[in-house]
Amino acid sequence: MTNAITIKNLNYSYPEQGELFKNFDFSVQEGEWLAIVGHNGSGKSTLAKLILGLLDFDQGEIQVFDEKLSEETLASIRAQVGMVFQNPDNQFVGATVADDVAFGLENRQVPSKEMPAKIEAALKQVGMEDYAEREPHTLSGGQKQRVALASILALHPRVIILDEATAMLDPEGKQAVMETLKELKARYQDQLTLIMITHDMEEAALADRVAVVSDGQLVFDEKPETLFLKGKQLAELGLAQPFSMELQSALGISQTTYRTKQELATWLSTLKA
Amino acid sequence: MNNLVIGQFVPGSGILYRMDPRTKILMTIVYVFLLVFANSWVTYLWSAIFLVAALLLTKQGLGLYWRGIKPILWLILFTVVLQLLFSGGTPVLFQWGAIKVTEPGLINAIYVIVRFVLIVLMSTILTITTPPTAIASAIESLLKPLKAIKVPVAELALMLSIALRFVPLLMGETDKIMKAQKSRGMSLSTGSLMKRAKAVIPLLVPLFVGALQRALDLANAMEVRGFESAEGRTRYRELSYGRDDTLAFVAIAVFAIGFLALSFIK
Repeated sequence: MTNAITIKNLNYSYPEQGELFKNFDFSVQEGEWLAIVGHNGSGKSTLAKLILGLLDFDQGEIQVFDEKLSEETLASIRAQVGMVFQNPDNQFVGATVADDVAFGLENRQVPSKEMPAKIEAALKQVGMEDYAEREPHTLSGGQKQRVALASILALHPRVIILDEATAMLDPEGKQAVMETLKELKARYQDQLTLIMITHDMEEAALADRVAVVSDGQLVFDEKPETLFLKGKQLAELGLAQPFSMELQSALGISQTTYRTKQELATWLSTLKA
Repeated sequence: MNNLVIGQFVPGSGILYRMDPRTKILMTIVYVFLLVFANSWVTYLWSAIFLVAALLLTKQGLGLYWRGIKPILWLILFTVVLQLLFSGGTPVLFQWGAIKVTEPGLINAIYVIVRFVLIVLMSTILTITTPPTAIASAIESLLKPLKAIKVPVAELALMLSIALRFVPLLMGETDKIMKAQKSRGMSLSTGSLMKRAKAVIPLLVPLFVGALQRALDLANAMEVRGFESAEGRTRYRELSYGRDDTLAFVAIAVFAIGFLALSFIK
């Protein structure tokens, strides 16, 4: 297994609030679905911006596949790593859905004749192909985020980072984005590394691995099934457990196994019988 | 705020939709330029015929165009009144104290109305049949010669299209902030002029802060998607000159020749 992202000895201080990361080490494997969780100001979004070179770090090293992040490799790294941001409106560059997907292709100097097919293929993958000529203000937040995903998919990235991409969406929009992510992961498998920055534990539950960050420190780094058993420690970090675990504890069931909502429901019904 | 038709694209079909936006912009410029020199009712009639033909080709309802004219009705009325009252000349048709309406004044007033309406309708036809992005790239293409004197044409065109893209967003935001401030007791419609002007500040500050935040976010999103410079990008919507455009140029040439001929007949 190769590493998609390797961070070694990273040091970063905010220009005003002071030090955030100190000798931070972290790595993400190729094909992994990783969730990075943490409370507000924990540094999780900053980490994403550092990986994409949107912020400059003070010391250390960030490596994306076999390239070290630097002024020279920035363009080639951004060609491999796509990012969906939190605010659906502020990342919509084009005047229509198709124009927005085209924006990245235009930057990469894809010939005009090849664009329509690529745009359609990308929109199909997120189920937005019927909206190609729509203007952004006629779309819901969830639809805009799926367009943002399509505009990244059109560039065939190896890594997609979602920076709180569902935080501003209604439950329906959230659901649609998460379903789309599941489909993409199933389609691309090891060809696609997903990094999801979130504070929603229901979303984190979908990942293979969850990294908990607090004040620039990696606190936990494990599978969701084991992490979600640590209710008390999570609460101390300002994080909630997934709903199913909270329900278990409210029911006085000892938290020794992680059950999803569905699993909990079936398990409860066997008890009754 | 949303019923402004000028600058609003309405999807449709027909020759005017297929035409190259550059052709449409050039045609509109030629038309407006000639109209300034219209000096007789035949030249106005000729111009009106041309406009009606264009109007019919858009296949849009007339109500749309009426909404285009409505916002500038007051401006037209104001100019008409000025023409009526201060034109001078003879014969005098009507006099009441210092106010007198003369025949040349009346004729001029009518001409002003017609000219205004024709110009506005022609530009409305342009914006109704052409998406803002197409207008932006047409302007870029038409201004290309300015690159020789180091005008950043590509950057300007990109700025223009992003600005257009954010107009509905910022309008929505203004509306939201206004409601938020009103619910806290702000009033923009009562009090002295000074008070009203001051009431605008709590509206503008959040709007500007919000717009700056959006700009930062958008810059990040653009960079991550590989944007480096507005130069050297390929285009999704390529402008192409076709048969429809040749037809259009023939039409505007016929119009111009007819116009010049009629203005000499007088």
